[in-house]
Amino acid sequence: MLEINDLVVRRDSKSPAVLNRISLSVRRGEKIAILGPSGAGKTTLFRTISGFLPILSGSVSVDGVEVSGLRGRRLRNLRSQIGMISQRHDLVDRLGVHQNVMAGALGRWTTVRALRFLLRPTPSELEEARRALSRVALERKLRSRTSDLSGGEHQRVAIARALVQQPLVLLADEPVASLDPILSGQILSLLCSLANENGFTLLCSLHQPDLAYEYFDRVIRIEAGKIASDEPRQPASSSAVEVAVGA
Amino acid sequence: MPGLDSAISLLRQFFPPDLSYSYIRAETAPLFETLEIAAGAMFLALIIGLLFSLIIGARLPGSRALYALLTSFRSIPDLTLAILCVVLVGLGPSAGTLALTLFYSAAMGKIFADLFSSADPCAIEALHATGATRTMVAFYGLLPLRLKDLLTYGGYEFESAIRASVIVGAVGAGGIGTELVGSLNMTDYHRATTLIIMLVALIASVDFLGFYVRRQPRLLLVLAAFGAAAAWHHWPHLRVVAQALKTFRTMVPPQLPAEAVRQLPTLIGETLLIAVGGTLMAVICAVPLGVAAARNISPLFVSFPVRRLLEALRAVPEIVWGLILVGIAGLGPRVGILALGLHSAGSLGKLYAESLENVAAEPVMAMASTGGSTLSIAGFAVLPLAFAPMTVHTLFRFEWNMRAATIVGMIGAGAIGGALFNAQQLFFYRQMMAYVLITWAMIMITDAANVRLRKYWRVSEDL
Repeated sequence: MLEINDLVVRRDSKSPAVLNRISLSVRRGEKIAILGPSGAGKTTLFRTISGFLPILSGSVSVDGVEVSGLRGRRLRNLRSQIGMISQRHDLVDRLGVHQNVMAGALGRWTTVRALRFLLRPTPSELEEARRALSRVALERKLRSRTSDLSGGEHQRVAIARALVQQPLVLLADEPVASLDPILSGQILSLLCSLANENGFTLLCSLHQPDLAYEYFDRVIRIEAGKIASDEPRQPASSSAVEVAVGA
Repeated sequence: MPGLDSAISLLRQFFPPDLSYSYIRAETAPLFETLEIAAGAMFLALIIGLLFSLIIGARLPGSRALYALLTSFRSIPDLTLAILCVVLVGLGPSAGTLALTLFYSAAMGKIFADLFSSADPCAIEALHATGATRTMVAFYGLLPLRLKDLLTYGGYEFESAIRASVIVGAVGAGGIGTELVGSLNMTDYHRATTLIIMLVALIASVDFLGFYVRRQPRLLLVLAAFGAAAAWHHWPHLRVVAQALKTFRTMVPPQLPAEAVRQLPTLIGETLLIAVGGTLMAVICAVPLGVAAARNISPLFVSFPVRRLLEALRAVPEIVWGLILVGIAGLGPRVGILALGLHSAGSLGKLYAESLENVAAEPVMAMASTGGSTLSIAGFAVLPLAFAPMTVHTLFRFEWNMRAATIVGMIGAGAIGGALFNAQQLFFYRQMMAYVLITWAMIMITDAANVRLRKYWRVSEDL
């Protein structure tokens, strides 16, 4: 599903490598936690997989498609297969919740349809947004302003957007970094259950080892741009809580 | 002092203003025309500027070249463009509308593009990550993320366009500016005062309106409808295009006769003298006025009247100051320095006062806890903290004054603007075009030097 071989990424030609000869093989439907201190290269890894950063050497392929060298429509097609959510506020606050959610469909829409949706969404499009929001228990917020959402709701709308995108791989970059422990557990539980239901591969970067071992099949540690360890979940912590988010 | 006596005697001729009903009624039409020029040009410039900035913001093909084009085009002063447009499409409001449309399309295109470039990169990247096209990202990300700033800047630019629509009138591009220059040329000073009062009232009304538009952006729809109607009314007729092209052919290639080439260093020197002298005079006046207007330093009975004085100084555009002062100071760069100095003192005084008021409270409180007097706290904490923003404002003012120095030249302050205006009046269009290009190059060089200075002094543009 996702194959990374000897990947080297630098910020510029003179700086040291942010990712240094990383190799990784991920199966379809796997749920992987990526642990590591700030600056270890977790975000760089995700941005490289999505084609936002140039690859100095090595290779990254998603579902058999080589990321390096992709441009224009082919790069957009690849990105539409890779969902991304992050700790950062990556929703557009001035758009409505339904507009942010349906932004997940931009990769498969024409520009004319995208512009028409901003002005006059059809009932079926609104229904699709409502369905995605109901999966994250936020359907009541369909017509709300994004700026009125709380931190946790913000993150769940980002997840709903990723669901509308129907990705093969979902990259969650520290999705619970700014949330309290209870909400963090709810969000991770939700992400894992959605990955199970939809069959997408989930890569999630975290700072908290306890959460990583509790919710994910496999835990990879990155330190100074290199993979320090790659191990399956410890049997003792297999009691992942199935929390009904917002219920 | 005979000089002072003659100045006082000339100033006396401006009073009392002609406030007769018939005159005021007759002048409401050109006043409304000024408003129409500004609204029509802004309506078109908003559409064109937004389109250009979205192309640049979305990084569509050709966006870098377009940005460079906008940056260089906005270096041509509005009055210089107005002269060109008067030559091309004839006297009247059509020339004013065309000149301001060109000027503000470039100005707003660049400002909006800069705003889009600094939009939250996380949100933009998240949209790209869905596989959206650049156009989709522009409409789902750039535009909504920056809408509020676009409205704010659009409002400020509209206020600026009102002042500019008066200025372009001075070279025959219609509106109250044309009437004002006519009154001054006819030494009808009483009526000139009436027109200046009407002009200040118009600018004050627009400032007031701008305040409400920023609170209620829906009012923009009403303004947009008015702008669309004004643009339709005053846009140059299609049949003028053929004539304009024919005239344009007489302007190229630009050419300067040998005599004009010999005078060029003097003209450039005079322009620099006006810009530097005007800025220096403004700084010397604005520092004490700014301190006096700062509400955290000066008591209310000082700051309130000083703020009104600053408003009055900047409400009168440089060119109008020039027209008033030319009778007192005579022809030459001195009148330009005085005109720029007075107007800029009003603008810089206000900006200095705001910089002084906006300093971080903690260091000031720490200094106050030592028991120092208000003035010593201002000297040890407030002024040093406000130094960086005050420097940036001064540098931006110098940039502005470089443009203004070429403008005031046209009303008797000499310099390159005077030579340009004379060439136009004498139908020496190739010479005129050469002066336009020299003006443009001078401003481009000054802007580039300013950017380097800001970097050297490590002062940010983000105030």
